Amino acid sequence: MTPHPRALARLALGLGLLLAACTAAPTAAPATEPTGAPVVQPTAAAAEGQGGAGGQIVLIIPEEPTSLNRYLGDAAIVRQVADTVSGTGLTYVDPAGQYQAALAAELPSAANGGLSEDLKTVTWHLKPDLKWSDGQPLTTADIVHTWETIANPDSGALAQTGGFAEITSIETPDDVTAIVTYAKPYPDYLGQFSAGLFPKHATGAPADMLGWEWNLKPVGAGPFRVTEWRAGESITLERNPYYYEVGKPSLDQIIFSIVPDEAAQEAIMQQGDAHVQLWPGADKATYDARMAGVASQKLVPGVWNLAIDFNLSAPNDGDTGAGTPHPILGDIRVRQAMAHAIDYDVLVDEVLGDQGVVHSTNPFAYGWYQCDLPRQQNYDVEAAKRLLEEAGWVEGPDGIRVAQGVVNAPDGTRLTLELQGYTNYDPLQLTEEWLAEQWKAVGIEITIVNYDFSIIFGSLSDGSPRKTGDFDMLIYDRSFTIEPQQEVSAYFLSTSIPGADNPDGDNYFRWVNPTADSLIAAAGGTFDQAERKQAYCALGEMVQTELPQLYLYVFQDGYGFSSRLSGYSVSTWGSMTWDIQNWQLAP
Amino acid sequence: MPTYALRRTLQAIPILLILSAVLFAIVKAAPGGPLAAAERNPNVTAEQLARLRDRLGLDQPIYVQYGKWLVNFALAGDWGESIKFRRPVSDMILERLPATFLLVSAAFVLMLALAVPAGVIAASRPYSWFDHTLTTLSFAGQSVPTFWLGLILILIFYIWLKNPFTGEPLFPAGGMGTLGADRNLLDLLWHLVLPTVALSAGYVAWYSRFLRSSMRDILNEDYVRTGRAKGLSERAVLFKHAARNALLPLVTMLALDLPAVFSGALFVENIFSWPGMGRLFWDAARGRDYPVLQAVVMINAVLIVAFNLFADLLYGLLDPRVRYD
Amino acid sequence: MTDAVLEREPVQGGAAVPEGMLRQVWRRFARHRLAVASLVILVGLIGAALAAPLNPYDPNAQAPVDKLQAPSAEHWLGTDSRGRDLLARLQYGGQISLSVGLLSTLLTLVIGTAIGAAGGYYGGWIDNVLMRFTDAFLTFPTTFVLILISALLRELPYPQLKNSVLVVIIVIGALSWMYTARLVRGLVLVLRERDFVIAARALGASDARIILGHILPNCLGPILVNGTLQMAFAVITESGLSYLGFGIQPPTASWGNILEEAQQHIFRAPWLAIFPGALIFLVAMAVNYIGDGLRDGLDPYLVRGAKG
Repeated sequence: MTPHPRALARLALGLGLLLAACTAAPTAAPATEPTGAPVVQPTAAAAEGQGGAGGQIVLIIPEEPTSLNRYLGDAAIVRQVADTVSGTGLTYVDPAGQYQAALAAELPSAANGGLSEDLKTVTWHLKPDLKWSDGQPLTTADIVHTWETIANPDSGALAQTGGFAEITSIETPDDVTAIVTYAKPYPDYLGQFSAGLFPKHATGAPADMLGWEWNLKPVGAGPFRVTEWRAGESITLERNPYYYEVGKPSLDQIIFSIVPDEAAQEAIMQQGDAHVQLWPGADKATYDARMAGVASQKLVPGVWNLAIDFNLSAPNDGDTGAGTPHPILGDIRVRQAMAHAIDYDVLVDEVLGDQGVVHSTNPFAYGWYQCDLPRQQNYDVEAAKRLLEEAGWVEGPDGIRVAQGVVNAPDGTRLTLELQGYTNYDPLQLTEEWLAEQWKAVGIEITIVNYDFSIIFGSLSDGSPRKTGDFDMLIYDRSFTIEPQQEVSAYFLSTSIPGADNPDGDNYFRWVNPTADSLIAAAGGTFDQAERKQAYCALGEMVQTELPQLYLYVFQDGYGFSSRLSGYSVSTWGSMTWDIQNWQLAP
Repeated sequence: MPTYALRRTLQAIPILLILSAVLFAIVKAAPGGPLAAAERNPNVTAEQLARLRDRLGLDQPIYVQYGKWLVNFALAGDWGESIKFRRPVSDMILERLPATFLLVSAAFVLMLALAVPAGVIAASRPYSWFDHTLTTLSFAGQSVPTFWLGLILILIFYIWLKNPFTGEPLFPAGGMGTLGADRNLLDLLWHLVLPTVALSAGYVAWYSRFLRSSMRDILNEDYVRTGRAKGLSERAVLFKHAARNALLPLVTMLALDLPAVFSGALFVENIFSWPGMGRLFWDAARGRDYPVLQAVVMINAVLIVAFNLFADLLYGLLDPRVRYD
Repeated sequence: MTDAVLEREPVQGGAAVPEGMLRQVWRRFARHRLAVASLVILVGLIGAALAAPLNPYDPNAQAPVDKLQAPSAEHWLGTDSRGRDLLARLQYGGQISLSVGLLSTLLTLVIGTAIGAAGGYYGGWIDNVLMRFTDAFLTFPTTFVLILISALLRELPYPQLKNSVLVVIIVIGALSWMYTARLVRGLVLVLRERDFVIAARALGASDARIILGHILPNCLGPILVNGTLQMAFAVITESGLSYLGFGIQPPTASWGNILEEAQQHIFRAPWLAIFPGALIFLVAMAVNYIGDGLRDGLDPYLVRGAKG
């Protein structure tokens, strides 16, 4: 298996889902190569920022970021670096999953008059006297430029693009005020400019974004600025003297060092030659013991939530919809039995002990919408067997059950199911093999079939099984963003079943439930977080009862931090560098 | 001689054409193709997709696409655009080539510097303990996976052994220079040591054995025996006649083994974080960045053909017995 | 590879290899003590791998509670990071790695011999085409193409290609036959002018019979020597592919991927990596020495041309 399974999957996800290829004209190549002379900067003498104690740190990343422009592709590796340079925008997400003001003076809300009554107009105020990392003033003209670029279909923007197309106008009565008008209310308006702004004077024409020199050497509003990028080797950044938070950052210089081999990464950390390691392969206990006090691993639940999708409709019947029930899984008692047959504690603590995962019971596992619901089907082998008997599945000669009076399957049908996943991801393979053993113990036979990532997550026209409905069970990890309404609708609405007329629908389980539909509509009808959370949690409970999906666990993100560092915190929503302006290095 | 060179060069062209066609077919066979990711992206409209397909020429017949690709690759220096980095592949490869060339050249220098004296000594004392040790080492060198050797070197020279004066590790674990410091030649050489050793280790003993056996052959030739009979000193026989003539096949061998050394660099670059072409290839393979893969394989093939040709010509130039006809 | 083929005495006459020759070869081979020792080791390793079913442990059964145990009476070589018995994994992995080595070598020899023999025997345009084809394959940067093809095959929607063992055997074999082809062609070129071949042709023997019955038996020695080198190469290559993530896919064990998994823990649990590393090393060494011994044994009969 590859040296960085977790990192790899992250990168792949970022690539596969967010970063599409060749979307706009590569009219101009980046005019300079990333290697070469340091960027010429105006002298920092005039700057008012006063750094703290200073110092230089090295951060290990396994692979080179493709660019430092988060709108070009938001692969996790890009964010680790971009967040220190160009990822500072109007707002940021705190560890609790709430937006906070960054460059914005305050969060626009109905209470402070920033949000109009019809929810369509948002008024932003910038903090006073903001400057870009080259000393030029940062104004609302840059906000307009950012919108014009991302909304331009030729720009090649692929990530963080939500909402930009719905903006009808941005008025800028002065340099610090921007009035954004949407065609219809946009629930995630606070996150609209959270991934960074483009400086109008240092980028280029919106349609040429792919070729901007800025993508590799951005002038940004972040705490650091790039001084040197050695292709494939390292990226060096120095303190941005114009950073908006006075007295920050404390560090003088940070260097991202690209080290692909995991054993080499650990050796370098352990010798104290690097201070931060992205996604160590070892579990926390092993890692900390190995580092012997030099560094230790910090864990935080990430956004990847692993679940099994049950296909409620018959596979391979030429029908992508929910027409005929699945011969085996169409009966809820079978799904309940399967849920009862899993020893969740052993799965999380032992099987995946090295991987750092935490229990998850429903789709809403983190963020402001987190629902802490207890499991409805606990580990109970007897209950599982009883449910299967009730459903008409009796034990066969080899221990695998056979149909005898089953609702949807003729007598003599063997209780055998296919579990589809994707290849090359350690934790997934561990889980699959473990589940197969657990289910075999109650008389269910499982065949594991793993496809390449691109097939499992392919489109309807590629014939991807989850889109065509030709599967029994799928197992993979999925994530929600800070504003989940769109994703929730795509997954759980009965109108979201994928098919020729709706190729982008994500209701792979073919679950049709009017109550769920009305709960989703209720959550979409208001901006009130408490009300929305209530609706989501009711939906989460329904998913547990009806079992279109069975949630297992959430992956944690692990970062190795040197014991000489302090002031950092880890967040579900941020990269490892999300608060790097606060870091301090002890001598 | 010039006509021979020209003929050999022309002969190489169909070979490269076959290879390029095979590569083109492989990349075409890859599922999804360059549009796969764009097709999956809900933000990309059908109209944008059509425009892309048109620009990439994907609706043309396959042989037209191949022809265009070939002309672009060979004549226009346009090797396509990386799917992942969305930059011209040629830029990316040119950035990485110097690091790989440096590493490979250093490895060759080390191989020759160690293999030649060892081979001469072994040839002058056949079946001595030195000769036997060399044989064992040459098999051992060929039997150790390169990546394994690289890690062991890091373990010994980075973790275990320290500079007695500064307490720093004896050699760095990777990279081409000290991070955050100005680059200088000394620093570069210091960083070059472990990767070079890892890359050349498998070959040193092998080449010395090769040199030893061709020297033994030459020492048995009539003209050497005559020289000895005429009273030439053993030293003169060894160095003036045997070593000189035996170097020739060795040089040829080196040129022909070059591709294997480039393959070895793939592993070494990965372990020692060396920013060369091998690393680029590996990253591209994991990210299914086919234009990059295609170009790197093609560049390697061209190098191999060029060095084959070079070895051929060199052989003729140095050995008057070879005739070109 | 220089294809200067120096001729020494090939076997004269008969269709089959004479009995006396085998004994002679063995006698010379037996004088090479390291080669004999290597043969014993290799046979022993194959035996140990085949004895895998005698080991009570399932190589893939995970026992997370027992992970990373040092060697003990229960687990003779300890357990890996998932609590699997390392000995059992090495035994089953040995079956896979040795099969990859043997089968890909066999494939290499079959393709190489067929192409080389046809080219050498028929000469003319057939030879020309086949040799250009061989040259083209020789320009393939092997490791790079191996990775490219493994990456591609895994992405195609054919479940049978998910069998990484088969894929690895085929790609290694398909990219290594060229040296054998050149070697065999050189040998056949020399042998086809021999009296016994001319005599057989005069007696009306078919081409196939002449090639299979008269020429190839005389090439067996060099082909075998070539095969030993190839086998060492295949075992090493499999481990390298695994290190880069394109080899045999877990949970199927191979020495290569056991080593790869262990190398992630190399600085904290070096013993884990010692056993698979040593096995790969041992096999490659043994096969090299056996080749060396064979060369000594066959020396008087050898039509030289193989590397070194």
